[in-house]
Amino acid sequence: MTRWSRLVPVLAIVMLVLAACGPSGESQSAAASEPDGSQPAGSEPAASGSGGEGTGGMNASGELFAYGFGYETGDIIAKTRVDVFNEQYPDVDITFSESGFEDQGFLTALASGDAPDVVNLPRNKIGTYIARGVLQPLTDCMDQAGLDPNVFYEGARNQVTVDGEMYALPEFYNTRVWIINNAAFEDAGLDPESVDWSDWDSIAQANEALVKNDGGLTRIGIDPKLPEFLSMWVRALGGQVISDDGMESLLDTPEVAQAVEFGKSLIEANGGINEFTDFRNTWDFFGANNQVAADQIGAWPMEQWYLNVLAENSPDAEITVKPFVDQEGNTTTLQDGNSWAITADTDNPDAACAFITTMVAKDTWVAAAQARADQREADGLPNTGVYTANSEADDVIFNDIVDLSDYPSLQEAVQVVLEGQDTAFGFPPSPAGAEFQQALTDAVNRVLSGEADVQQALSDADAEAQDAIDAAAR
Amino acid sequence: MATDEARSADARAIDRPGADVKEPIDWGRVAYNVGFGVVLLFFTILFLYPLVWLFFASVKPGSEVFSGNLLPSVWRWDNYPRLMDQQPVLQWAWNSTLVTVLASVTVTITSALVAFAFAYFRFPFRGVVFGIVLASMMLPGAVTMIPNYLIWDFLGFNNTLVPLWAGNLFASPFYIFMLRQFFLGLPRELFDAARVDGANYLRMWWSVAVPLTRAALIVVFIFELKVAWTDLVRPLIFLRDIATFTLPRGLKAIIDNPSIGGEKHFELLAVGGILITVPMIIVFFLGQRYFIEGIATTGSTGR
Amino acid sequence: MTTVVQGKEVRSVGGVPWTPNTRRETLWALVFLSPWIIGLIIFTAGPMLWSLYLSFTDYDPLRPDITFIGLDNYVAMLGDRRVATSLFNTAFYTVFHVPLSMAIALFLALILNRVGGKMAGFFRTAFYLPNVTPAVAVGTLFLLLLNGSNGLVNQGLALIGIDGPSWLVDPTWIKPGIILMSLWTVGNTVIIYFAALRNVPTELYEAARIDGAGAWNQFRNITLPMISGALFFTLVINTIASLQMFSEVYTIFFGQQQGQSAGAGEAALFYVIYLFRNAFEFFKMGYASALAWVLFLVIMVITVIQVRGSRRFVYYEGE
Repeated sequence: MTRWSRLVPVLAIVMLVLAACGPSGESQSAAASEPDGSQPAGSEPAASGSGGEGTGGMNASGELFAYGFGYETGDIIAKTRVDVFNEQYPDVDITFSESGFEDQGFLTALASGDAPDVVNLPRNKIGTYIARGVLQPLTDCMDQAGLDPNVFYEGARNQVTVDGEMYALPEFYNTRVWIINNAAFEDAGLDPESVDWSDWDSIAQANEALVKNDGGLTRIGIDPKLPEFLSMWVRALGGQVISDDGMESLLDTPEVAQAVEFGKSLIEANGGINEFTDFRNTWDFFGANNQVAADQIGAWPMEQWYLNVLAENSPDAEITVKPFVDQEGNTTTLQDGNSWAITADTDNPDAACAFITTMVAKDTWVAAAQARADQREADGLPNTGVYTANSEADDVIFNDIVDLSDYPSLQEAVQVVLEGQDTAFGFPPSPAGAEFQQALTDAVNRVLSGEADVQQALSDADAEAQDAIDAAAR
Repeated sequence: MATDEARSADARAIDRPGADVKEPIDWGRVAYNVGFGVVLLFFTILFLYPLVWLFFASVKPGSEVFSGNLLPSVWRWDNYPRLMDQQPVLQWAWNSTLVTVLASVTVTITSALVAFAFAYFRFPFRGVVFGIVLASMMLPGAVTMIPNYLIWDFLGFNNTLVPLWAGNLFASPFYIFMLRQFFLGLPRELFDAARVDGANYLRMWWSVAVPLTRAALIVVFIFELKVAWTDLVRPLIFLRDIATFTLPRGLKAIIDNPSIGGEKHFELLAVGGILITVPMIIVFFLGQRYFIEGIATTGSTGR
Repeated sequence: MTTVVQGKEVRSVGGVPWTPNTRRETLWALVFLSPWIIGLIIFTAGPMLWSLYLSFTDYDPLRPDITFIGLDNYVAMLGDRRVATSLFNTAFYTVFHVPLSMAIALFLALILNRVGGKMAGFFRTAFYLPNVTPAVAVGTLFLLLLNGSNGLVNQGLALIGIDGPSWLVDPTWIKPGIILMSLWTVGNTVIIYFAALRNVPTELYEAARIDGAGAWNQFRNITLPMISGALFFTLVINTIASLQMFSEVYTIFFGQQQGQSAGAGEAALFYVIYLFRNAFEFFKMGYASALAWVLFLVIMVITVIQVRGSRRFVYYEGE
């Protein structure tokens, strides 16, 4: 352990020597893809036949690898749809990563030269990959499959469309609604029907009436769900956090500042962010003693699937569901969900196309929704359906399969959800989506914790986000 | 605080069983022992309670996992078969076992070889070369991740268990450093005596150095057992098929279950956590005898 | 350079006189070292070099083109608010975690060393068990234990009349909470000290007792010097590990699981987490490589200082 001073030059020399012998990056990745080329994919009976005994409309066979999706680990909606595909295309041998989408996992899979053929990823993240040319445009595939892009809700379609081309097929469609805890409203002397959700003063007043403090916070009045739903509050003011094409940060605009200030005021009225968040983290969110059943919240905007959780775990807790509206009273809700895409490097584009179009086709969704309905019926539970991004599938599911006549309040809730679907908006395909979200989240958190004032936080965030977008858009 | 006092107290108890009874009560010592017991109990609870909590969470109905009560209202032992029905848990457990054993055996042997070279041989630039060992230990793992991935992929071991342990064939800087410390603690004369007896260096390493550092080697072995058993990053990168998953990778798959509608089963997650942790607890209990014995042996013969 | 060995002038190579004996030992050393040398070249030095090169580029793993941009990444770090924040957070954590974990581990090792009888194995295992718990599980556990409203930690503090802080939300208390969590897993260090304590020859204590040395003096003059090697080892290792803190914090504050707090944002942004996000979420591999190399240099400098400083305190029997 002597002569540490020599360490640095020696390291440098070792590295230079290594550099001279080491393969360059290019040859490395070229070599890396070699063994894969010689692997079974080619030795399988290639796409020669008519597609076997399958009923699928396309000519597809061979192997497929799907990243970001689970069959073995998936639920009945996932399993049924894959089963439908396997039935239609018996010549396609598909395997799944069985894990959820992760940027890191997808990246390493792509870098390996043995890229996945199809990928299931959140629509919020898709801009990053489109900008880097990782995904194929799907115009031809959709033509081939006879899939009309207009069957998808516009909000979802916009999220996956760049320069007029769709790069992914939207899968689920999660929108937000106000969930109102009737018991809390009664306790506060409020009528769930009478609060005007387009009037922010009225929201603030309800918040103050609903909050309950019994030595410590025991009931949150109204949770604005910041920073997650900031863009929805900004929409309500007629503003946006980012331009429609995802290329311009609008974080430093008056509407954003006003929305953050308002959210902060709601949280302050509940005792401040520390107490607020700590209390929220103690909730039995997915359990029978959830925050509604335990009367720990007055109202909050929430993804619609949470209605299922409530219906299943605390069927006796009464709720009212209202659309999230802007200041004019028009429904405006944030939506998100996953989508299916084909990687640019796939060596089996036909099977990939057959797979992703089948997964989001109307009949496939209907089969899956039916399977879940049967399961629910067997379990004696209400079936609130599946919210897909395919509007035609939704029509069948909610008209023919979902029958909530025995559950009037749920039926009403589902109706509210369905009404908001056509006008829902989503996060646009920004080339630096993840960095934008980081900038937004940190800015809101800095404001809520009092580390920075709104103007400072938002102008910092705006500069960071814009730099990141510009750098990524090269 | 004083270890000698403890030992002498033990020794006395062994030498003269029952002798303490007749002595007048030393209240100072009683208070010391009571205080000692309280401290011991306090730390034991501190370390064990969260794991106890995890166990009870694994036998609760799903709705009670986050409730304030430690005990479940209904004991749901069927959470265990439920998880095993849903996932190939036994296959994962086998994969984990295989990887862990191979990783631990290889890294212990090779690290002991390398560490011995640094401790015993005199060769040019030894200090500098050892500096490289230290330096390589300091490199943030994230930097070498992608290139390492490409190398294993190039070698054709993607989606197999090989990359999870084969890197250990090349020793580990951490253990080299650790074992070198132990080897340095051995008197050089022991080896010189073996050399006089005509043993070559490999033989000397195997028959003199290794037995004398058995305790340290077992420490390395157990450390690596734990590292390999709980490793998540490498399985995440290299494994894609569910049949090749290790237990932590499988648990991650359960966490990432892409189901929609809030169908997360935290009680099954707790089951997974228990299934990962319990084998390590058993191994540690079993290995402990050798572990302690080994340390004790070194303590007496090494000096 | 030449030295005189047994009356003959011998060339000195790398600080060692080059005699036939040295040549033989060097050859054997190479045999013993070969696993490490091969591994170093293929799995460490090669990738390191690759990342050093990347730090001077705008490498994005999903884009085919790489542009050499000189020191731009390093310059950009200077103007990046999050680099300063994450460096501060990491330094704060290290400065508190390392001494605290060493002191507590030594205390626990001394306790363990004193425990005799059948229960000894139980207590040893109890102290070590948190270390066999996977990081994901540790993070999830502490998310519950550190809750400011009814977490176990604050329930305990309430017993002694303290109104516990918001460990997971309040920017002032997030890092102390993380340090608290880190101390739950001191088991590794405890085991190392415990092994070292067992290796202290009992004769030394016997001799000291004959000389009339008290408990404190024995601890100060025998125990501490005799385990100084282990103390030094853990100082270096724990510092390096602290500066690379990742898994547990990432699980708690940066996971995407439903029901968790939306993220403590910058108060829990550790350096390696920021590095990881840049590399694998923003795909700024070039920038991330620059971050990695700066971290590497920082760690190297600190370790060199520690090694130099320790020479006065560490005692090796063999050298």
